[in-house]
Amino acid sequence: MRKYGDSQVPLKSDGLFLFFANIIGREKTGMNIIEVRDLSFEYPITDDEGNVIGGNKVLENITLDIPKGQFVAVLGHNGSGKSTLAKHFNGMLLGNSGKVFVNGTDTADDDKIYDIRQTVGMVFQNPDNQLVATIVEEDVAFAPENLGLPPAQIRERVDEALNAVDMYKYRLHSAHQLSGGQKQRIAIAGVIAMRPECIVLDEPTAMLDPKGRKSVLKTIKRLNSDFGITVVLITHYMDEAAQAERVIVMDSGRIIMDDVPKKIFSQVERLTEVGLDVPQVTQLAYELKKEGIDMSLEVLTEEDMLKEIQRLLPKRWHTDI
Amino acid sequence: MLKDITIGQFFPGNSVIHRMDSRFKIVLDILYVVILFVADNFISLALAGIFILMAYGVSEIKPIMMLKSLKPLLPIILFTAILNLFFVTGEGEPLVNWWIFTIYSEGITTAVFMIVRIMCLIIGMSLLTYTTSPIVLTDAIERLLSPLKKIKLPVHELAMMMTIALRFIPTLIEETDKIMSAQKARGADLDTGGLMKRAKALVPILIPLFVSAFKRANELAMAMECRCYRGGEGRTKLRQLKARPMDFMIALLMLTLLGFVIVDNMVF
Amino acid sequence: MNAVETRNLTYKYSMGTPFETTAVDNVNLMVEQGEFVGVIGHTGSGKSTLIQHLNGLLKQTSGEVLINGRNIWSKDVNIKDIRFESGLVFQYSEYQLFEETVYKDIAFGPKNMGLDKDETDRRVRDSARQMGLSEELLERSPFDLSGGQKRRVALAGVIAMQPKILILDEPAAGLDPAGRDKVLEEIAGYHRNSGTTILLVSHSMEDIVKYADKVLVMNRGQLFCYEETDKVFSMSKELQMIGLDIPQITKLSHLLRENGIDIGNDVYTVERAKERLLKILKR
Repeated sequence: MRKYGDSQVPLKSDGLFLFFANIIGREKTGMNIIEVRDLSFEYPITDDEGNVIGGNKVLENITLDIPKGQFVAVLGHNGSGKSTLAKHFNGMLLGNSGKVFVNGTDTADDDKIYDIRQTVGMVFQNPDNQLVATIVEEDVAFAPENLGLPPAQIRERVDEALNAVDMYKYRLHSAHQLSGGQKQRIAIAGVIAMRPECIVLDEPTAMLDPKGRKSVLKTIKRLNSDFGITVVLITHYMDEAAQAERVIVMDSGRIIMDDVPKKIFSQVERLTEVGLDVPQVTQLAYELKKEGIDMSLEVLTEEDMLKEIQRLLPKRWHTDI
Repeated sequence: MLKDITIGQFFPGNSVIHRMDSRFKIVLDILYVVILFVADNFISLALAGIFILMAYGVSEIKPIMMLKSLKPLLPIILFTAILNLFFVTGEGEPLVNWWIFTIYSEGITTAVFMIVRIMCLIIGMSLLTYTTSPIVLTDAIERLLSPLKKIKLPVHELAMMMTIALRFIPTLIEETDKIMSAQKARGADLDTGGLMKRAKALVPILIPLFVSAFKRANELAMAMECRCYRGGEGRTKLRQLKARPMDFMIALLMLTLLGFVIVDNMVF
Repeated sequence: MNAVETRNLTYKYSMGTPFETTAVDNVNLMVEQGEFVGVIGHTGSGKSTLIQHLNGLLKQTSGEVLINGRNIWSKDVNIKDIRFESGLVFQYSEYQLFEETVYKDIAFGPKNMGLDKDETDRRVRDSARQMGLSEELLERSPFDLSGGQKRRVALAGVIAMQPKILILDEPAAGLDPAGRDKVLEEIAGYHRNSGTTILLVSHSMEDIVKYADKVLVMNRGQLFCYEETDKVFSMSKELQMIGLDIPQITKLSHLLRENGIDIGNDVYTVERAKERLLKILKR
């Protein structure tokens, strides 16, 4: 599953590049959990005989730092490259050029790959396709078992992980009897059992109903706030991205915006252009502003909007009187 | 229809049967099958039947689950019984002789024996899967087969495949139901026509099922890799398999039963 | 005559066992020809079970289902004909694709209807166009398309049967905003052009508000209400009580009222909120 780009071999022996890359990578070690340097990735296009005749560029010159403890959302439409980027964060994919560092370790370093995957855990879209074992606690035990931990420690980690996602009382249930949201929380627990510093979630709520989406999002937020786990949430739901500390917007393999949610969503036109939504209240603020109301576009929640309207109203009411 | 299948279901519990070493459970279950087929008189079979019913009682599994496990196989049981009823010939006078049907008393005996045997067999097998979590079951199989590693048999891989298969059986059954409904909604005719027509009608169901199964396999492989899976080397287990005095006692009980059945056969 | 009618429709799972559950409980429903109906209700409310009765995939435990005035389970009705009359598109419908080409896949339904080659061809091309699929896509393998395109091929496959009633179970689930809008717009366009009765199941209140004339709300197997969209969303407090979401903009209107700024209790679109707020702000 680990894929190497065409230029991988020359790159690996390119000591000078590695030297600089390591310097850049170590510069801020201790602060950033993930550092992406000038990363490009393309899927090879082959002709009928299997010869490579070109490349389908998916990522282009991505440079990015994710500090420890941050809750980052990566927003983009399907095919914008956001999932491909996510798979570089734990070495599932390796770029054709550029580097990714996890805690200062190059993800191309084969000897460290299991350390990297333990540090950066990954959760995918379809909960059904991530659960290996039938019984909940046995599935959660899968990763610690792979790590070769003694049984007592596995038990401890399984219980701790199930508690963290609030599914402890379901530990002996069959996975297929649970709801989609519950299954996804088990998948998250399965990753938590590795005690990762960072979790990357690739559209974890896309297949869930509203109730399931809420429970999964609540779980993610709690992992970030209570356990200090860095969260990278890949999504195309703007209401989820709005709850993050930082939003990265991707389009055609590039990062086109990177800011706090309020600043991102206030750019209504730009987001619509790249096929994304804004929250309804933000849309409302935008429409009102177009009508000449002196309105801030940095509103995301109903409360934000209430404050804005209250700010605008007294002035007018006073002048009316 | 598809949802009636109880294979791979597991009911967690804390009974003696649940706590048994699953390696013993498997071996003893096989031994029980041997007993069933060695037993050929009423006393032996009755003992074997009482034995499995007692085990069932001890396991605290709801009796209705026993019936559920029997239900899908009822046609096979009846079919075997009827075959035996009509085709076993005895030495004495036939009991019934009407048209082409002739029934001897031996036929009735064999048919009843057969019903009891198959029912006990199914109950015994389902008791094993009901009280043993799939992963522990495959784990036990892995251990039991581990001597075969010496002849380069990929024992761990086989066990992992079984674990995953058991995990995905309910998912794929559900999926098959869904695809069947979707194609029926497009007017697919699955229930009528000759053999060729029916075989052809399966194509719109099998292809989507395979496509989806491959997609699932791909995603599962990726998820497993992300969770640091790297084969059986150096892997540990949440649950340790440990043989306890109780296991040996039950094994002894079973061997006694086998001994009795053999002696019983020779005497009568 | 009603396009869809149910009389005391009841459906029970696992009859006669301790697991018996009533999934649909005594539902009486009348949908008129040509309406666009939104169907909402949280997971397990019985909405999926209900819609599977409307083309005879499930048979009720008691009660009746009438499609265009005909009792679908009466002896003189062939249930296969009902399935062509009342087309059902399942959730994640791209999983039903199986043919080598998009064209062949769309033709599957018409072929099962026994239509001749010319009529099938006309319908395949028609429905592909309706769903925004270009001619050149027809010869491609359906498995090579994007998620949104696959979804539209599956939809075209049902539309090609030209059902008088089209039932869609979350046609936009899992798609990104652009893909979602595209699919829903094509459906709305098809509704306008063909006058087909449409039942759209969705979890997205925003989508329901945007497209549906009437809304059917299911709760615990029962019909909670079936009213004009306006009326249903004016009962947003009741909707929230049975575990449904309401549009963010409606929540805003409630919050504003609690703080002494009344923009009415029928605000569920951004346009309406804008009108009402402009009146207050521009005073």
